[in-house]
Amino acid sequence: MTSRTLASILPALVTLLQEIPSTAAAATADPASQAAIVERKLHFLAWAYTVVWVILALYLVSLSVRLRRLSGALRRLRERLGL
Amino acid sequence: MPARGSAARLLEGLLLIAVALLVPLCLYVVFAIVPTEEKMGIVQRIFYFHVPSAFAAFLGVGLCALFSTLYLWRRERRYDRMAHASAELGVLFCTIVLITGPIWARPVWGVWWTGEVRLTSTLILWLIYVGYLLLRENALNRDQAARWAAVVGIIGAMDMPIIYKSVEWWRGLHPKVLRISGGGGLEPTMEKGLMLCTATFLLLFAYLLIQRSRLGRLQDEIEALTHAARSVAAPGAAPAPNGARP
Repeated sequence: MTSRTLASILPALVTLLQEIPSTAAAATADPASQAAIVERKLHFLAWAYTVVWVILALYLVSLSVRLRRLSGALRRLRERLGL
Repeated sequence: MPARGSAARLLEGLLLIAVALLVPLCLYVVFAIVPTEEKMGIVQRIFYFHVPSAFAAFLGVGLCALFSTLYLWRRERRYDRMAHASAELGVLFCTIVLITGPIWARPVWGVWWTGEVRLTSTLILWLIYVGYLLLRENALNRDQAARWAAVVGIIGAMDMPIIYKSVEWWRGLHPKVLRISGGGGLEPTMEKGLMLCTATFLLLFAYLLIQRSRLGRLQDEIEALTHAARSVAAPGAAPAPNGARP
């Protein structure tokens, strides 16, 4: 994802998340600094979720590669033994 | 046997469909339904994948200890296979916990890592099970790998109660429960969101466990056939019933 795409998505996400009801009391700080804090935290949130999916995807790919390799090896072995 | 195989395939398919449907639902619930936590803000939403990953890691470690015990007692290869698969998944989910934790901690605590007991004991758990996997790779033969790994698997699981109870036994930064608007525990919507994500991660764990144990079965089958082929080629050769590595 390019930084330009990210830059266009982030403000929309910030707006969306600000619309979700919060358990916090009414905000007292000025809206601009609040938005900056939310955006900073959003970066961490995006990183965390990216890491989770990347790790799980890599594991799934590695598992699938290992399974395919072993299935192939077993098939070849059976053919060689005439089973 | 074929009926058992087709039942396993069906279960696997159902698990995959359930996970594929639940993951988008989880993301929708986490980002569009659950309220934002008052002190930490939106970054607290990491919680919905961090905590279920920890549960899945605990399940992996617990199953590894259980199957290791069964292996030492009964000496059946299938228990060793399941212990190995569970340990690998325990490491996978523990890795997610150890990466998402610091990403959550940095904006909330101001540091990536502290030396408090819950974090340190979780890191120790991860190191023990990485060691378990390395031990299996480097043992001289399959029997030795299985026996030694079973002992490590059982001893390693003793770290779990320490991790779980650490926030009660020692004071630290890691939260015990989230307090919303002065109340105790989780807000009901948050709790439902957490339960949904936990169920999804546990189903994903079950799907991966089936896949990973199939990998172990294939490895065993290849080893058995290779041994049979060697016996045919050179009758009277070393029996190697313990699966000595070539």
